[in-house]
Amino acid sequence: MLDFAPTEEQEEIRKLAQSLALDHLRPHARRAEAEQDSSTELRLTLAQTGLTSPFPEEYGGSGPLEAVTYTLIAEELAYGDPGLALNIIGSLMGPLTVWLAGSHEQQQQYLPPFCNPTSGYLQRGSLAFAESTGTYRLADIRLQARRTSEGYLLTGTKRDVVHGQRADLRVVLARLVENENENEDKVAEGKLCAFVLPSPLEGLSIQAEAEKLGLQAAPSARYRFTQAQVPASALLGEAGSSGVVRAATLYQILRAALACGTARAAFEYCSAYARERIAFGRPIVSYQGIAFMIAEMAMKLDAARLLTWRAACSWDRGEADETLIREAESAQRQAIKMAQAATTDAIQVMGGAGFMQDHPAEMWMRDAAAME
Amino acid sequence: MIDFTLSKAQQAAREYAHQVALEEMRPISLECDRTEEIPESFFWNMQRRYWGGAAAQARAFGQDEGVRQENLLTVISQEEMAWGDAALATAIPGPGLAAPPILSQGTPEQQARFLGIYMDGQLHWGALALTEPGIGSDVAGMSTTAVLDGDEWVINGHKHYITNGARADLIVTFATIDKRLGREGIRPFVVPKGTPGLIVGRIEKKMGLRASQTAELIFDNCRIPKENMLAGRGEKKEGFKAAMGTLDATRPMVGAMAVGIARAAYEAAWEWLREELPAGYPPQQRRAWEEELEELGQEIEMARFLVWRAAWMADRRIPNSKEASMSKAYAGALVMKATATAVRITAPGEDSERKQLIQKWFRDAKVFDIFEGTAQIQRLVIARRLFPNIDIP
Ligand SMILES: Cc1cc2nc3c(=O)[nH]c(=O)nc-3n(C[C@H](O)[C@H](O)[C@H](O)COP(=O)(O)OP(=O)(O)OC[C@H]3O[C@@H](n4cnc5c(N)ncnc54)[C@H](O)[C@@H]3O)c2cc1C
Repeated sequence: MLDFAPTEEQEEIRKLAQSLALDHLRPHARRAEAEQDSSTELRLTLAQTGLTSPFPEEYGGSGPLEAVTYTLIAEELAYGDPGLALNIIGSLMGPLTVWLAGSHEQQQQYLPPFCNPTSGYLQRGSLAFAESTGTYRLADIRLQARRTSEGYLLTGTKRDVVHGQRADLRVVLARLVENENENEDKVAEGKLCAFVLPSPLEGLSIQAEAEKLGLQAAPSARYRFTQAQVPASALLGEAGSSGVVRAATLYQILRAALACGTARAAFEYCSAYARERIAFGRPIVSYQGIAFMIAEMAMKLDAARLLTWRAACSWDRGEADETLIREAESAQRQAIKMAQAATTDAIQVMGGAGFMQDHPAEMWMRDAAAME
Repeated sequence: MIDFTLSKAQQAAREYAHQVALEEMRPISLECDRTEEIPESFFWNMQRRYWGGAAAQARAFGQDEGVRQENLLTVISQEEMAWGDAALATAIPGPGLAAPPILSQGTPEQQARFLGIYMDGQLHWGALALTEPGIGSDVAGMSTTAVLDGDEWVINGHKHYITNGARADLIVTFATIDKRLGREGIRPFVVPKGTPGLIVGRIEKKMGLRASQTAELIFDNCRIPKENMLAGRGEKKEGFKAAMGTLDATRPMVGAMAVGIARAAYEAAWEWLREELPAGYPPQQRRAWEEELEELGQEIEMARFLVWRAAWMADRRIPNSKEASMSKAYAGALVMKATATAVRITAPGEDSERKQLIQKWFRDAKVFDIFEGTAQIQRLVIARRLFPNIDIP
């Protein structure tokens, strides 16, 4: 039955995430941008809430959360700061993929370090999704995994891998192919699969992404695989399983939520500014040219958020893979597009001040642009 | 709990209404648009298959589900009706736009007296008359007057663009009882058809929604009983609030209709690409169109969710002016984009019935940016709710 209200429990978790965002993310956003990472204290603070270890209790986690709940959390974190939020979510996606796609044995091997009460907060996970040849759509994944007698040979690229350089757990999405030198179309049709990369791995070169346009607080890297041999045990679960699709679509849904949070930050910030700023003797928001821009922002934010929630609901209900992919990719596309428009308009509302680094609007505009 | 799945009643509202739209509306859609006339059989079929069938069944299931969902059920079925034909949807017998003000501002006695008329199984309509030649958006500036003379209100003035104005059995007419009071002097009055002094003027010729009747009404010393004023609760701003409160309930419905037309155009454009695309079109062009339609499909879903959310709030009695305006503004813009896109994509090739329908929907679409508050007025409502302490003129 149609319903648009979070549960009481979800509302409590959302409020917790919001207070973390306002007290611990927003104030440190510029520093994190400069240092290109989150601070250890912030990681510890977050770990203590249990929000960063949503894994089964048998591995020491605080218990899995629903996608809807995590969507609410991700929006709040990005409302605090998009870069730091991506830093957190990006790390989480590594172990989450192991949990969703891996065998029980693999879960036992990789999850407990992330749940360790004294050192878990220092662990970094990573999930390599997008490639130099494409976007964050599953159809664009071209990294080839060719079966060999010893395991799999990986060939291809990845970009934008949050924590790719320093990760303790590196998971990559790939396509299973049977023959050498498969043509592009065949690769695209290969079964989707996820691997945990051994470290070090011969044939893998990792390069930190520098001079990024936005989202600097989430350090990221590029991977280049040239015939990198990984053992058979590196494959998480089975190739083509729903678990991999669930992990990938969860990332897309959370990226949509991050975009919503970014847009909300910009919307609220420029609204407050427009209320105070006087021009021609009146608050600028009393002019329709400004008021309508802000109304438009609010409307489109709500629209994209609803689309994101719908995808999360379907994820929680365990809808079929094709449905999840379609809905998650729609949400991701629309939310990011919306966030780019909202952050750009927020600067316009603020005039010259919006362009200055004294205000966070310019950072949010770059962050939203960097979500592609 | 956040949930996007339809309950049994909600599903029934959608499926039954869809069936009615498909079988009763689509077959006569182009003809009614051409002639600006609707065969009487359509009204009777709606009486039987919509009120007696689809709507009744959804409502019956809804009662079993134990939550208020009239607004949701209505927007869900309105989307389907407008998918069938938006002009015909406005002509379905029933109190229509007259119902919300009677329900929100009528005393129980008035509700029984006025809405009872619609229960006898015969063909009856209702109308809502706010707009005048001199004012549209600025409702508070209306000049139609009502003066109490003994036991009667005497109404004088001029309304135009009134949907179903000439066939309505009851017209909820807004008039001022004292111009100096501005918006606070405005009251709703129920004027029955055939009242001496109520004159039906011209029936408008329109770009779209042509089968929908848009009438001019002239009130020339039109006398109605004192008991026909709907301001039962007697508070100062009641009249104006009634007008505006009505809009909070009806805007999501108008939004739902816009979504229905947008979806019709979207589906038809896909079908055209599959079935009518002339041979020899370069595959890149086709791919570009498909991408455009995919994007449009996503926007249609967002519009629908905004509509559902606003209706859901209304059912929960959560104030929803802002969200109602969002749903209407978003859907109003979207339906233009969707129909314009469909016209453009399907421009090549032979003429076909599908193309004529698409062009009709394009003509129908524009009014969704205009009636029930223009695109600008929706944005004003949203902005004023976002900034309650600031005067945004
Ligand atoms: C097919 C059809 C059916 C209709 N049915 C009904 C009905 O059943 N009952 C009824 O009462 N009315 C009905 N209407 C009337 C409709 O509600 C009005 O047309 C609408 O409210 C706009 O009023 P207007 O046409 O006088 O335009 P105006 O108010 O003159 O507006 C002209 C332009 O000015 C803009 N504008 C006005 N004020 C502002 C402002 N403050 N800020 C920024 N821009 C502004 C508007 O957005 C618009 O773009 C119908 C109209 C149509 C076309």
